[in-house]
Order: sequence, then C-alpha cells, then structure tokens
Amino acid sequence: MGDKGVDLSVELCGLKLKNPLILASGILGTTAGLLKRVEREGAGAVTTKTVTKERRGGYPNPVIVVLEHGLINAMGLPNPGIEHFVDEIRRAKSILTVPLIVSIAGSTPDEFQYIAEAVRNTGADAIELNLSCPHVSKVGMDVGSDPDLVYEIVKEVRRVVDIPILAKLSAMVPNIVEIGRAAIEAGASGLVAINTIRAMAIDVYARRPILSNLFGGLSGPAIRPIAVRCVYELYEELKAPIIGVGGVLSWRDALEFILAGATAVGIGTAIAIRGLKVFKEIEEGLTRYMIEEGFSKIRELIGLAHENPV
Amino acid sequence: MYIRGRIVKDKFLTFSVKAYEIELEKDIMPKPGQFVMLWVPGVGEIPLSVAQYIGNRLMELVIAKVGKVTTYIHEKFKSGTRVFIRGPYGNGFTVLKKAKCLIVAGGCGLAPMLYLIDKLIEQKCTVDVVLGFKTRYDVFYVDRFKELGRRVLITTEDGSMGVKGTAVDGMIRLLEEQEYDMVYTCGKELMMVSVVKECLKRGIRVEASLERYMKCGIGICGSCVLDPLGLRVCKDGPVFSGEILSKVEDFGKYWRNPDGSKRALS
Repeated sequence: MGDKGVDLSVELCGLKLKNPLILASGILGTTAGLLKRVEREGAGAVTTKTVTKERRGGYPNPVIVVLEHGLINAMGLPNPGIEHFVDEIRRAKSILTVPLIVSIAGSTPDEFQYIAEAVRNTGADAIELNLSCPHVSKVGMDVGSDPDLVYEIVKEVRRVVDIPILAKLSAMVPNIVEIGRAAIEAGASGLVAINTIRAMAIDVYARRPILSNLFGGLSGPAIRPIAVRCVYELYEELKAPIIGVGGVLSWRDALEFILAGATAVGIGTAIAIRGLKVFKEIEEGLTRYMIEEGFSKIRELIGLAHENPV
Repeated sequence: MYIRGRIVKDKFLTFSVKAYEIELEKDIMPKPGQFVMLWVPGVGEIPLSVAQYIGNRLMELVIAKVGKVTTYIHEKFKSGTRVFIRGPYGNGFTVLKKAKCLIVAGGCGLAPMLYLIDKLIEQKCTVDVVLGFKTRYDVFYVDRFKELGRRVLITTEDGSMGVKGTAVDGMIRLLEEQEYDMVYTCGKELMMVSVVKECLKRGIRVEASLERYMKCGIGICGSCVLDPLGLRVCKDGPVFSGEILSKVEDFGKYWRNPDGSKRALS
C-alpha cells in the first residue's frame, strides 16, 4: 500500500513490484551502488546496463546529443563483459530490496545463452534480452528484427534459465506484434517496448554528424507516442505482460502506457531531464490521480484504454 | 546541440600546458568548479573545468597535453579557431561569504581555482593559496593568484622554486598557523586524499574537485560513478565535500576504464 490507501503495487511476470516504475536499461545501471541509489530514489525495480559476452569499451566521445525533445545516444554498449559483471550483479543483489533485471545482448542465440547461463547463479530476478539496440551492428536491432532469430534466441535462453525472460523490442519493424509473438511463443515471460529509435543529429556549423558513431538511438518525449502505440498493439494482440518504455517524464506519461496495457513503465531519459527525483514525482502524481479519479489499485488501470474504443 | 565560441587568445603556460581564451556566442553563467564538454569535430569530446569567466561571454580554459584530443588542440587551436562546447555541467564549489578560505591546488588542478578565487574575493572572503608543482618548469599562474590571494605559498617537489615539498606539506604549515572556515582543493587524487584527511582530522570544512573518465556528462551513462554511494562525478560532482568523500571507497583507490571496470589509481 502506498500513501493514502492507494495501492501502486503490480505483479510483473511473478515479480512483486511496490510500484510500476522501473529503471530502464542503459541508464545508470553500471554498478551496485548506482542501482541501490535508484532504488532509494523510489524505483519499483531496476535494470542493469546491457552486458555482452566480451568486454566493450564503447564508442569514443561524443556519445550523446542533447536535443529539445530527447537525447540521441551512441554509447556502443560499454560494459566489462559478463565474466567480470557477474560480481557486480551479485553485489547488487546483496544490497537491493527491489527486483533486479539484468539486460543482456549478443549476436547469436548461443551467445545469448552463454550470458544467460552466467547470470543464472547470480540471484538476478529476471533477464531482459536487448534485441533492439539501434547503433551496434550485428547485435541488438540486427537480430531483433527477424522473428525467427528472436524465436531461436528466446528458446535458447529459456533452455538454461527459469527466471522471467523479458524481450526488449524495437519499434523499427513493420510489425512489432509479429516479433513480440515470436518471443512469447518461444517462452518469453513478458515484453519491453520500445528501445530507442535510430537517429542522427548534424551540427550545422561543424557541418558534420555529431556522434562519433554517426548514428545513435533517439529517446525521450520525441518517441513517446510511438512507444504508446507499440504497447497498445502488443497488449491488444498478445495480452502479455509489458514494460512500456519511451519518454516517460511525468505521471501522465506513465499512466498513458499503463492504460495502453503496460504493467510497468521504464524510466530513463527523464533522469537527465528531471533528475533522480522523477521516480518520487511520478509516484506522487499517480497517487493523486487515483484518489481524484476513484481508483484504489493501479492494477485496475492496466489496459483500460482498450475497453473504451471510439 | 553545441554552443559556439571563437578562440581570441592562446598562450603556453608551461611546455605542456596552454591557456585559451574563448569568446562564446552566449553567456553560459558557469559556477566555479563546473565544467564544459569541448567537442573537437572529427577528433573527440573532453570535459574541461572553467578556469576563468570574465564579463558574460569570455571563458578561459587551461588544457594540458595528455591524450589524443588535447594533443590535437595544442597543435591546431589558435586565435580565430571555432570551438564547440556544451554545459556548464556539474555542481561547482560552495562559494562562502566573508569567510577565511584556503585553496590547495596541485599542477593543472589550479585551473578551476582561478575562477573560484575571483568569486570568493567578490564575496569578501580572505583567501590564502597553496600551489604545488613538481618543478619550477611546471609553475604557472602564480602572479594571478598573488593579485587576489592574501598569502600565496608555492611548493615544488624538487625545491627548485618556493618551498621544497608537496602542496599538502604547504597546507599543513598554513593550517598550523591560521584558522580557516573552508579548504578547497583540486589536483592529483592522492594529494586530495591527504588534503581531505588532514582537514577532517582538524574539523575543517573541505571540498575537493574530482576527475573521472566521462562520457555523457549529464548524469545518465554511469561511466564516472563513485561507489558504494553511486555518486556521479559529472552530475553530483565534480565537487564533493570531505564528509561525503570519507564514505566513498573509490576515492583515492579506483578509477574506471571506458568499459566500466575498475582499475587502481596511481
């Protein structure tokens, strides 16, 4: 129970969340200390930065462009590699009280399976498959836009872990439902929609692209309506548990995703725009809304927009 | 998107340190201790602390030749070169009013202190300064500190100028003679560890400006984190109080590689 008798808790693929706000992958999830700090700021669950089989230094700077309605990033999936990172996951698990989701990426089903196996004994509460990073070739989006490959990856990971598997999808496919269906049929417990959208920014005075990688992933308010559409479609067709991600800055944005069918909502770019206090702000806003509108449990609002067609 | 500027003056401060005066297209209103990200198109992007800020658009940066980007800058940047910055970022130093302050800076760590002493004097503080260098060939900006500081103590490790010893030795000397409300420090991290320790031992308020490998500069990528507190040098810092630093296990011990793994600080 949250403040004033309003219940913000949700159950996501068997995981109990005190509120539906999850630290999205790629933001701050590099160390146990940072994950713990985000928990203290009020997150209902936290996701690590994506980990790969081998270590990656990431791309050279600039890796980020700050725009009016969002960010473009091309970090290049920097991480110390799974063998090194399992210690960080264990450390995180030993101090966190909220569920810990570990994000992983690879270029083949075998690679995903290898990493998942390493994560298996760390106590992680769920695995998120990053099938949708838009700026690293042969990883992410390149694998996540092929439904057969997605099926294979989820199947191979499912073979080695029994914790929830969440498939993070890209909006840059003709039919996101088809990819989501492949993931669910292969044994994914839930879906995460959406990842960033491949984008570019050019400085008109330097007369060249800003990012060292040229292309990056657009996040923030600019992509929110696309993300809401994806969540709505996935919920309508698949009725699977969904984490809605994309430009959530306020309680109103979070609620939009929940009404579209999201059980939980990812928070990322908002931390750059609003600061870490954004978790508390959204929680307070949701509580206020529920009191004013006469809802006692946030669960009652999940997918509610589908019951009111025009 | 970037804020443009043009270099109006460049000069060597030592063999490997240069100062650049940049006229910006707009006022960025930095606080002492804050930093900017300087983009060199096609080469890279690096964090640099604001060394001085005059009027409402003139910024000075002090750049030591240490890596690919700074070497390129030393070789190519001259009066008239267009530069691209974003920021200012980070928290900056706490500028006290009418207080007795001591600045302890080592080597290039004195860059942000020039802007700081300016602001402290504006707030009617009295400021003593200890500047530590390796040798007399590394000394710069002493005159500018002497203009503003009440007492300026120079130390060199080889004794080739000023007092032989480190900035920490110089600081301890002053702390034994004087009372201070605040000590501000910037320089090599191991030096700052000693400065913080000595201040905390004596119950003196202290703030230190840290450096880490930075990527986004806006507090989201997690590259410059200090554990176990999960503090971001780019956003929660780069300036931290001694009290906080005493709880940061990484302080004086670990630096992070671009891939996020730790390596021992030397």
